[in-house]
Amino acid sequence: MNPAAEGTTYPAVPFVVEPSRVAAFRSLFGISRGIPPTFVTAAEFAAFPQIVSDRHLDLDFSRVVHGSQTYRFRRPLHEGEELAVRARIEAIRIRGGNGFVTIAMDLEDADGVVVCTARSQMIERAAGA
Amino acid sequence: MRGRATVSVGQELPALARVVTREDVKAYADVGGDQNPLHQDDAFARSAGFPGVIAHGMFTMGHMAAAIVAWVGEPDAVLAISAQFRAPVFVGETIVAGGRVRSIEDRSATAILETWVTVERNGRTEWPVKKGEARVRLA
Repeated sequence: MNPAAEGTTYPAVPFVVEPSRVAAFRSLFGISRGIPPTFVTAAEFAAFPQIVSDRHLDLDFSRVVHGSQTYRFRRPLHEGEELAVRARIEAIRIRGGNGFVTIAMDLEDADGVVVCTARSQMIERAAGA
Repeated sequence: MRGRATVSVGQELPALARVVTREDVKAYADVGGDQNPLHQDDAFARSAGFPGVIAHGMFTMGHMAAAIVAWVGEPDAVLAISAQFRAPVFVGETIVAGGRVRSIEDRSATAILETWVTVERNGRTEWPVKKGEARVRLA
């Protein structure tokens, strides 16, 4: 992973809050109504391909484990709405051969309001570890 | 939504247990979008140093969120949620989500919960989620 990629921003990716996918998520976690808070992970995965394929960042996803995750909501997501997912590399630290990257994503609604901010810390384990 | 009058600092959330099956993990990969073979392919997981496939951290966090939603009454009451992943969860294990009320802010009608997810393994308590937190709205 390349520490100089800190600050990289990526083009917005569209994500539709599909009711059938929300229902499957609810069913898996035994939640009877609404949108489960961690459903936002599905939006994150819509934006991950451009991060994983970013040669400047050079993140080896096969060595990545998930360190921590945060979601902050300004309002609940709505079923059926289309959001724009804007990803950025917020921080990169290298310690003991392991790389720690914080990826932030803003989910914007049609009015440009940031509905939710997701932050993932991913750990790229040292090669051969 | 849970009423303010029913909430006090130190109050515990009811523990929520579930067995994590291979089918659950596969279903989670499909609905969450994370198709990393670490969660589906035993040979790949062993090459990464695990005895077999492990559940997604986000599966464990989704279960933690379910315990919070069950307590607060509805998903929309969850204003923020976070988790630090500390230990893997293997297929067949039972994860238990728990939490307690750390603080209450009456002005905004919100409460901060500290939450966690544990698993009993070889006679020890492991912490798939060590430091979880949520901010929830109260009625």
